[in-house]
Amino acid sequence: MTESCQHPSVPKDSKYLSMVGDIAPDPKLDDPSFTLCDEKNTKQYHNLNEEMQYEGEKYALDQTFASQFKADPTIKDSGMIRIRFIVNCKGETGRFRLISSGYDYKEKQFDKAITDQLMTITKSLKGWKILSNKRGPKDYYQYLTFKITDGQIKEIMP
Amino acid sequence: MIKLTKYIIVWVIALCQTISTAQNCNVFLYQKDTLQYEACLIAEDAYQYYQYSREYQEILDKAIEKCPHFSYAYLNKSTAYLKSGDFITWKYLIDKAVEYNFRENIGYRGWCKFQFFRDYQGAIDDIESLEAVSKGNIGYSAGGHYHLKVAKALCYKQLGDVNKAISIMEEYMADTTLQVSVFDHLHLGAMYLETGIYEKAITQLNLQTVQNDLAENQYYLALCHQKMGNDSLFTEHITKAKEIYLRSQKMVFHYTEPIDRVYLEEINQALIGNEKD
Repeated sequence: MTESCQHPSVPKDSKYLSMVGDIAPDPKLDDPSFTLCDEKNTKQYHNLNEEMQYEGEKYALDQTFASQFKADPTIKDSGMIRIRFIVNCKGETGRFRLISSGYDYKEKQFDKAITDQLMTITKSLKGWKILSNKRGPKDYYQYLTFKITDGQIKEIMP
Repeated sequence: MIKLTKYIIVWVIALCQTISTAQNCNVFLYQKDTLQYEACLIAEDAYQYYQYSREYQEILDKAIEKCPHFSYAYLNKSTAYLKSGDFITWKYLIDKAVEYNFRENIGYRGWCKFQFFRDYQGAIDDIESLEAVSKGNIGYSAGGHYHLKVAKALCYKQLGDVNKAISIMEEYMADTTLQVSVFDHLHLGAMYLETGIYEKAITQLNLQTVQNDLAENQYYLALCHQKMGNDSLFTEHITKAKEIYLRSQKMVFHYTEPIDRVYLEEINQALIGNEKD
């Protein structure tokens, strides 16, 4: 349930982060140059717009993965992989975290040839739009979930 | 007037579903279920907090501690995990909600499997399980935009069985006790188009135009006319598709991308393809 160290404001005896899905910075994993405008007030993408906002829409995102992901025919893994990350107030991305399961929704590790590629492509995406509320541009959580069948991307969500 | 009434009914259903996130605890008292009544009173405190928050989750944990079979707490705990894409924790929690109150939660779980995870077979299994125990209307999706029968039809379509999807949709549309929702004609039209039944597709897409005109129905109308060799009607509809797309008159869901959604680039490519021809 926890995918990173806890937010400073959370009591030590709580098993929860400040918000479900929060990602605290981890110097071992994250680019130190990636910073947020407001660490304690990161929104969810759906707080700021009804659907995800990407340059060229989800069509462009699908095309990017279709052209860059190279399936290895010897790898037959199936299930779902979610990569969650933050888009900051400048439109930069960071703090990428990955979870994966079989189609039975039970945790499962995928071959690194799949997860490493998905992570590399996701980190390279440059089309995330800056989202704002009345107070100006905000940092927000975004995620991508990949449906993988026999090592190939079948669908990308949300 | 009839159409307006239909819209009002659909949105009232949606409103009721939203309001229903807060439960009337007295229901349990009337049932002499003291444990669930007490758990329900504890859970009421959670609703002042955002559903993603630690406080919300902790209060619902206390309700579960009071009554381990209080399905409502599991259901509400699951929502933030669903919306944040954590399918592992979501599934654990929603399964508990279904285990302790099958009739109330199985349809919702099926809808979520469809909307958030494109788990078509999982959604079909849940919706058909609900149908097996229901005598009447099995109800609508969270948000109220879709009847669960339509969701089931879309799942069959996505699995490649378009004929079965059409059959479910036709039966649903013919049932006068059920309300045709905001995207139903569009989806049935797209199904007919996919199977080459262009006249019926055009009929449905024109109904969608009258009911709730979107870039998507104009786009699919254009494709129908293109397939039938009518270039002028293709141009008319594809031009209109782009025009209303740019006015944001398009399919939009909260959280996820809908089935049969059309993107601007696809409309542009159809326009360019036509100019080349």
